[in-house]
Amino acid sequence: MRQEIGPVVSRPSSRESSPRAALFLLLPLLAPLLLSVGCGLGAGAVARPASVEAPAVPEAPPVPLPNRSGSLKFAVLGDFGTGAKVEYELAAQMAKLEERFKLDLVVMVGDNLYGAERPQDFKSKFEDPYRPLLDGGVRFYAALGNHDARTQVDYDLFNMGGKLYYSLKAPHQSVRFFMLDSTYPVPEQIEWLEKELKGSNEDWKIAVFHHPLYSSGGRHGSDLQLRQTLEPLFIKYNVSVALTGHDHFYERIKPQHGIVHFVVGSGGRLAVDDIGKPSDLTARGFDTDQAFMAVEIDKDTMVFNAISRTGKIVDSGRIQRRVPEPTRASG
Amino acid sequence: MRSVCGAVILIFLILAFAAIAVPATNAASTSAADKSASPVLAAFEARIQAYLDLKGKAESSVPHLSKDSKPEEVVRHQRALAARIKEARAGAKPGEFFTPDLEALVKRTVTEVLSGPDGKSVKASIMDENPDVPRITLHEQYPTAVPLSTMPPQILASLPQLPKGLEYRFLGTRLVLLDTDADIIIDYTGRVMAP
Repeated sequence: MRQEIGPVVSRPSSRESSPRAALFLLLPLLAPLLLSVGCGLGAGAVARPASVEAPAVPEAPPVPLPNRSGSLKFAVLGDFGTGAKVEYELAAQMAKLEERFKLDLVVMVGDNLYGAERPQDFKSKFEDPYRPLLDGGVRFYAALGNHDARTQVDYDLFNMGGKLYYSLKAPHQSVRFFMLDSTYPVPEQIEWLEKELKGSNEDWKIAVFHHPLYSSGGRHGSDLQLRQTLEPLFIKYNVSVALTGHDHFYERIKPQHGIVHFVVGSGGRLAVDDIGKPSDLTARGFDTDQAFMAVEIDKDTMVFNAISRTGKIVDSGRIQRRVPEPTRASG
Repeated sequence: MRSVCGAVILIFLILAFAAIAVPATNAASTSAADKSASPVLAAFEARIQAYLDLKGKAESSVPHLSKDSKPEEVVRHQRALAARIKEARAGAKPGEFFTPDLEALVKRTVTEVLSGPDGKSVKASIMDENPDVPRITLHEQYPTAVPLSTMPPQILASLPQLPKGLEYRFLGTRLVLLDTDADIIIDYTGRVMAP
């Protein structure tokens, strides 16, 4: 056990920065730009950002899920474990979807059980509402939120294998999920994440965790501290999508540094009107009813639908993954 | 093409040099704290190790928990472990891990992080859904009505590292030491930051 104490040197926040900090901030941003001009300086990779194509207005016809054979199909669920009627109603929509869109798995962005965590709570807040999916063989993979006891890591149906953070290779397509513990990001976890990301050769790298790096929520909003720690790794190692929760609504964030962020904390408790005035971050927000996401990945394209408790598609679109582009040789 | 390339490299080098040359206004000094902290930290480490030994014995006397357990098994194991630990630590008092020396060090560390350039947002992160709890009791479960406070990476990187199964959390403005396997609080500090 290594024992050190004392404040770590803070990296400058986006809100306050010294001239030195500004230069340090600029350097990583400028370096890829400068190096990609055509100098062929080494084998560094510059990623093509993830791009999103979505209907311009919510009323436009949604982008349908292609439902192709061999694609990866999964759902995203967050902040749901209340045991309340609305949770069951949203779960029923997931089951309805699954009848025609066979889910391979469900990823959970945390707050899986609110309040007490007695055996009967696991049943009423998780097993009963999602029974049709569980019985159909759909596996749920959990990340923990701030309302979750740490002992959930041992619960068989959350498939965490006793770990607070882990990575998961999808059963189809070249996809890996990085399931993180954002309530307790110890240095050991950050080192593990970097190693995992670096060692991953999947085309799609998707980070799943509770606290959003970007959110327009009035109650919580963006976690700037976590952003300072995680975002550089996401950028460096070509993460295309981040799935988060904590704020109790659905929000798709405009791509940030080429990464598409979603807040899907809309599975149970709802913070009605918490997005308030859409900020510069919001590509699409929905905070008037519960919602989950249905996602399909086929080769380089991800199609997503955000589906409400009443079955309405409240957001949809197509995302092209980030692609590392090798720097060109000088001519 | 070569001249463009040369200009690009020159700009890059100038920026790199400027970044190094500008005075380091944000660098927090840790050396003073580290020097005086060593014996305090060593003693803390020894106490943690003694606790792990005690916990190991307690664990060996309760049914083994697999990594894919049913909820009733998880809860049963957690409660049995908590009871054994409580029994083995009968007579334990607050401050056995967070001794006055260590608590002072923790307070100093937290204060330094919170007075740094990101202090405001670090504190906002800690206090997010983290109400002050009027009373904390040793060996009690972490209050189920209160979410786990979020520990910013900057704070975690500054505190002494803990082995798996033990975590720091803030309950209001106090820091608690939590055994996550037994879900009980095994020690806590007084206020280590302003409300």
